[in-house]
Amino acid sequence: MSWADSIVRALKNNNVRFLNYVPDSKIEKILEAARKHGGFEFLPLTREEEGIGVVCGQAIGGARGVLLCPTAGLGNSINALASMAIPYCIPCPIIIGVRGELGEFNPGQITMGQATQDILDALRIPAYRLTREDDTEKITDGAMRMCYASDGPMALLVTNELAGWKEGTPLS
Amino acid sequence: MIDRAEASRYLVGRLKDELVVTSLGNEKYDLRQAGDRDRNFFNWNSMGLASSLGLGLAMAQPDLKVIVYDGDGALLMNLGSLATIAARQPKNLIHIVWDNRSYAMTGGQPTATAFHTDLGKVAEGAGYPKVERVETLAAFQNVSDRALKEPGPWFLHCLTEVKPAKSGGLSSPTANKHRFMNAIGARH
Repeated sequence: MSWADSIVRALKNNNVRFLNYVPDSKIEKILEAARKHGGFEFLPLTREEEGIGVVCGQAIGGARGVLLCPTAGLGNSINALASMAIPYCIPCPIIIGVRGELGEFNPGQITMGQATQDILDALRIPAYRLTREDDTEKITDGAMRMCYASDGPMALLVTNELAGWKEGTPLS
Repeated sequence: MIDRAEASRYLVGRLKDELVVTSLGNEKYDLRQAGDRDRNFFNWNSMGLASSLGLGLAMAQPDLKVIVYDGDGALLMNLGSLATIAARQPKNLIHIVWDNRSYAMTGGQPTATAFHTDLGKVAEGAGYPKVERVETLAAFQNVSDRALKEPGPWFLHCLTEVKPAKSGGLSSPTANKHRFMNAIGARH
C-alpha cells in the first residue's frame, strides 16, 4: 500500500466526501488513490482561496470536504482562513504538497515552501508533517479527528521525505 | 435601477427553506433588514468568498436552494469561482449579484464594472446556463420567482445604485454558524 493509499484510507475513515483541489504531482497521487478507492466527489478549483470557501460551505452544510493544494496554494488562501475558517470555527483540513525543500529545482517554489510552517504557526493552525510511509495513516487519521474536535483549520504536509521530489530542469 | 433594499424585502418575503450566503458589503445589511432568518449565513470580512461558500453549501445540501447574495466588487475578486461553479453546474444555486459599479463601503471608488466589464457576460462565458440582466423591481420579482422554482445554476445580474444600507443586526460569526447549522440539522 502506498503513502497515498494510507492518506485516502484515513480520509474515508473520517467520512470525507469531497476532495477539492488545485493539483500538483503529490496531490495527483492522492487523487489517483481516491479514484481507485471510490466514494469521493472531486471538485477542481481555479485558485486555492476558493477552496477554503468551498470546504467551509460544505462544512456548514454538514458535509466533510478537504482542500488539496501545493504550498504555493496556501499562500493564496491566507485571508480566507483568517477571516472565515478561524473566526467562524469551521473545521477545514488542508492537505498540502510541500515544495521548496529537499531536491527542489524551481527557484519560484523555495520562498513560499520554506515559509509555510511559520505562516501556519502565525495563524495558530496546527500542522503535521508526513515523512514516513509506516505512520502516514495514523498521523492523517489522528490529525483529521483533532480537526473535527477543534472546529478550525488543520494542515497536513506531504513532504519530499515521504513522496520524493519532482525532477525538473536544473538552472544552467 | 433597482432599489436593493426593496428587492431584498420582496425576496425574503418569498423565501421558505432556502439557504442564503452573503458577501461582505451593504447587500448583507439589506438582507438582514428585510427579516431575521435562521437560514441566513452572514459574511463579516471574506471578500469574494460568498460564491465559493455557496457552491460548497449547494454541494452539501443538493435538495435545498442556495442563494448567494453577492456584490460586484467582491465577485471581481473571485471571478474564477464562476468557472468552478459552471464546471459543477449545481442546479440548486442562485447567484444574485448586486452591481452598483462601486466599492460603496469604502468611499464609492469605481469597480471594473464602471468601465467595460459586464458580469452577466462573464458568467455566461464561464458557462452559467441561466443568466439574466435585471434592471427593474418588476423584472427582479419575475426572475427571482422563476429562479426559486426552476433548476439553475442561475446568475441574476442586478443593477442598482450606491445607497447606504442600515447596518447592524448581525450576530457573532460562531453564533450565526450554530444557528444556521441547527436550522438545517447539520453537524461537522
